[in-house]
Amino acid sequence: MKNQKRPVNAVSRPAEALMHLILALFCFACILPFVFVVIISFSSQESIRELGFSFVPKSWGLDAYNYVAKLGQQLWVSYFNSFFITIVGTLCTLLVTGLYSYALYRKDFKYRRFFTFFCFFTMIFGGGLAPTYVICKQFLGLSDSYAAVIVPMLLNPFNIIVMRTFFQSSIPGDLIDAAAIDGSGEYHTLFRIVVPIAKPGIATVGLLSALAYWNEWFIPMLYIRDARYIPLQYLLQEMQSKVDFLAKNSSVLGAEAAAVRANLPSDTLRMALVVLIVIPIAFAYPFFQRYIISGLTIGSVKG
Amino acid sequence: MKKKVLSGILVSAMILSLAACGSEPAGGGTSGTAGGGSTAADSGGTSGAAGGGSTAGGSGGASDGAGDSGSASGLEPVTLTMYFGGCDSVTDDTQAMEAVNAYLQEKINVTLEPIWGSWSDLDQNISLSLQGGDNVDIYFTCAWSSNEYNKFARDGYWVRLDNEGNNLIEKYASDLWSTLPEVLRQGAAIEGADGYGVYAVPGYKDIATQNCWDINVPLLEKYGYTVEDIKNTDYYGFGEILETVKKGEGGDFYPLLVEGAVLERMVTNSIIVTGDSGTGNFMSYYLDPEDVSRPGSLGVKLVNKFSTDEFMRFAEQTREYFNAGYIDPACANTEQANDIRTQKQLSGQYLIGTQSYSLGYELVASDERKFEVAMVPCTDAYVDTTSSQGAMMAISTVSKNPERAMMFLNLLNTDPKLMTMLNYGVEGVHYNLKDGLVEFTEERAQYQPWTNGMGNVTILPPTVAQGADFWDGFKAYYGQAKEIPLLGYSYNSENMQTQMGTVANVVAEYLLPLCTGAVEPADKLPEFLDKLEQAGINEVLSDANAQLEAFMQAKGE
Amino acid sequence: MKGKTKKTLLLLSMVLPGALWFFLLRYIPMAGIVLAFKEYKVYIKNPGFWNNLIHSKWVGLKNFQFIFATKDSWVYVRNTLLYNIFWIVLGLVLAVTLAIILSEITQKRVAKVYQTFMFFPYFLSWVVASYFVLAFLDPTRGLLTHWQAAGGGEVINWYHEPKYWPVILTICNIWKTTGYSCVLYLAAITGIDGTQYEAAAIDGASKWQQIRYVTLPHLRTMIAILFIMNVGNIVKADFGLFYSVPMNSGSLFSTTGVIDTYVYRTMTATNNIGMSTAAGLLQQLVGFVCIMAANKIVTKIDEDSALF
Repeated sequence: MKNQKRPVNAVSRPAEALMHLILALFCFACILPFVFVVIISFSSQESIRELGFSFVPKSWGLDAYNYVAKLGQQLWVSYFNSFFITIVGTLCTLLVTGLYSYALYRKDFKYRRFFTFFCFFTMIFGGGLAPTYVICKQFLGLSDSYAAVIVPMLLNPFNIIVMRTFFQSSIPGDLIDAAAIDGSGEYHTLFRIVVPIAKPGIATVGLLSALAYWNEWFIPMLYIRDARYIPLQYLLQEMQSKVDFLAKNSSVLGAEAAAVRANLPSDTLRMALVVLIVIPIAFAYPFFQRYIISGLTIGSVKG
Repeated sequence: MKKKVLSGILVSAMILSLAACGSEPAGGGTSGTAGGGSTAADSGGTSGAAGGGSTAGGSGGASDGAGDSGSASGLEPVTLTMYFGGCDSVTDDTQAMEAVNAYLQEKINVTLEPIWGSWSDLDQNISLSLQGGDNVDIYFTCAWSSNEYNKFARDGYWVRLDNEGNNLIEKYASDLWSTLPEVLRQGAAIEGADGYGVYAVPGYKDIATQNCWDINVPLLEKYGYTVEDIKNTDYYGFGEILETVKKGEGGDFYPLLVEGAVLERMVTNSIIVTGDSGTGNFMSYYLDPEDVSRPGSLGVKLVNKFSTDEFMRFAEQTREYFNAGYIDPACANTEQANDIRTQKQLSGQYLIGTQSYSLGYELVASDERKFEVAMVPCTDAYVDTTSSQGAMMAISTVSKNPERAMMFLNLLNTDPKLMTMLNYGVEGVHYNLKDGLVEFTEERAQYQPWTNGMGNVTILPPTVAQGADFWDGFKAYYGQAKEIPLLGYSYNSENMQTQMGTVANVVAEYLLPLCTGAVEPADKLPEFLDKLEQAGINEVLSDANAQLEAFMQAKGE
Repeated sequence: MKGKTKKTLLLLSMVLPGALWFFLLRYIPMAGIVLAFKEYKVYIKNPGFWNNLIHSKWVGLKNFQFIFATKDSWVYVRNTLLYNIFWIVLGLVLAVTLAIILSEITQKRVAKVYQTFMFFPYFLSWVVASYFVLAFLDPTRGLLTHWQAAGGGEVINWYHEPKYWPVILTICNIWKTTGYSCVLYLAAITGIDGTQYEAAAIDGASKWQQIRYVTLPHLRTMIAILFIMNVGNIVKADFGLFYSVPMNSGSLFSTTGVIDTYVYRTMTATNNIGMSTAAGLLQQLVGFVCIMAANKIVTKIDEDSALF
């Protein structure tokens, strides 16, 4: 395995070196802020008070993590909720998105234009927050359950159109026709022929929606009150918005708010929360990547 | 053949899984209400509008509002939902609510279902819950966040409590009303959708405003000055002290730690006019610093705060201090200013700061910052509309049981036992009484509602930290606070919405840089005033002054 | 004939769950758009969202007035448009270039590491990113400020000098969005059948020619679709970027002010749901027109790549 042979159809070595340089620089720029976040999160609050946000803190400290640890049991409950919502949500999203996109991809689908437009139109026009809230909460009864987070986020017209585009660009129409002649039903064609070929695209949409579920705090804020269903991102966001609100209204709330605020490691806390959120999903990332990058066939001779 | 079977299985699997997905909301919703104890069941389905099978507590059950007030036995059982604010620190309310509800059922046959709203809910979720018409009986409201008492009253969200045909206060809450200080009763009466009257019960908490210089005493004394030296001069006379300290502490030290907007009010003696807070308070009324209860220095009139001589003088002085290096430039960056202020206060990197004061704050601050902090007031404590409407409880027009809600509010604000239970939890669990003083246990960490958001805090037993005579001092301090002539006035910007928006944007552009000295007033102030005029500030002001005249006339009668 | 009906029915059954969702969660709430023309008040006789909505007073176009009320608001519209146009083009070129470079890297393991790193900015909210920017630009403690002071140069008060911000915001935007859109293109490249490259190589095509004649044509559809969808957002700005990163500093509004921050500040002043709906509706209408135009153009060039 060592001393891997360069593929026949590869770019020249100097060109590749240049490419590495470009990518490395860009990646450095991408990762640096995160390193910064990690450093700040482990800085002591005193250091921030004196030096401000700095790459080299005066002293280290665990204030922020100790504060988060006070959440105790709730932290783990929320971690579980986030994982559960992300996994189940992504699967549901992929299924519904896949079905919808496949029908849109089929050129001979009689109502193709209508349903494309039906989906696309919602990407542009929306009724706003209040009416959506009323429908979800009062009409669909979405509150205090996992469904209350998953259902409002289930579909995203962007994902549908992207997935349809993946189908279009990777699956030749002849293949579908041939399958139809063989008597393959639509569901069979989708799951047996289209899905295996379009894996990179499906993995990409899966990745995007998993990230969306993982990062979401606004929808849980609207529909979740019961601590048993609160996902991580919302739990942490809530701590943050408390700090922000108290700061914003400090002149009106006076002493009481100031007292609450002074006890919060606000600056390091903000960063520690980011670390807690990013680490798990960063580990989940390679799972999707398997399909996105390993599928890369360019430059390698298929064995 | 084989393929057909397979696709058949796939289809049925798919339908099953979809059905499972689809039924989740309903199922989840029901289980939420059924097993959720007290925290789960908030407004499941308003007016039972096909809301996935949720039975929504008992709120639908007793819709024919209970008749006259009487003993609990004669009252039908009712569930009241109440949306609190600032209660992030309530994580387990089981024991407290059990006690509260047992007591409430015995007294007025009410079951309370609290929604422990967080701080940020005051800005976001409460507005949405109101606009969406959620099934909530009582809301926390105030005059200083987006959860705006006056606007919501005008838009018809609150039940008028002293309606002539159905005076809820007289019928069910006369005890409550008579215990409130006069200033609070006055401040609560406003123009609403149902005429001029009271739309919420004001909480008796720190109801006065007083701006103070926040002094870092050890540092001041290090340079041979005393707090007396600060008291004997004013903002325009700080120069010498600031210069000495700046020289001594070095270039990276900024002695003046300001919150731009507060500094401006302190120096020019202007106040927050209720109704334009979201715009950065461009309207101003100038207090008479000698006696705040007398008509202001420019008369009982609202003016464009940035066009006055006072402001010009203030801005020039501030610019001078900024250029001399007395003010940290970071104070001029809106989103950074608060962080920097907290940081520097806590690390003692300042000499003179600005603070909106409430009783006993110097002790709290000294304790937190680990050095002696002194507060030097600029004017006497005064009561204005904003401070009198600092924490209120309003009954929603959606409520099916406004009468019972009123009875509950009456009990909450007058019955020390209920008030203590709801605020401090259960004796022996969340706190212990030691010589009549409250000493909190560790359990309290699980149940810490925002005391000031709960109504009449003066009927609570004092805590050990407060000391036995705390409430006497409290009542004395706030009792002597003078009301300003404008008390009760709040600007209704209904007809000036466009102008309010455009003015707000212009103010956001210039206010903070000017009030912290980051830009040159000679260049920027004329530009600012010009833009304000284009944005329509004069129309707003004449509208506001017309309303003020009418208000003062009505008040005089 | 029967087969055809059956096929249509099967395909309809596939769209059904999605269509139902769109109907319930997107189309019904669209009734709320009328708020843009109303003054939302509670219908006291029978309060509830829909009743309030129906019984509120019509106010015509009053809610729209604030959008174009002052000279400044036109500056904000201009800023929004210019930033978006520039970023759509720049973002597209950069993301496609990076995706191609990434796909040509022979060590797949290294490529994976690169790609993982490129996604990190997505996780950092603008608020967090703004603190990173602050670490460089802080007026007293920032790294750049220190360097300037040490070099004896004039210290720039970044948060009060609008002229630098178009560059700073552009860098931030590229940093945040490139990794995300890059993955879409990369996945599209992955979907290309490898034998096509082999065939091209055997025919003696250089790497450039392979990219030109194999890769790019395959990416065409994805590029077109993402382009069209971006054009739909041409009058919407990324609020966090324009609000948090410049620390909401008033002195910078001439280059950092955009429609969304303008509307936000108006909302904090008025809390008027009608006005926010009006601004949103206007953005949607302009977006719709732009998307239709872009789609038309794409259809002319290559019908298969069009959105619909």
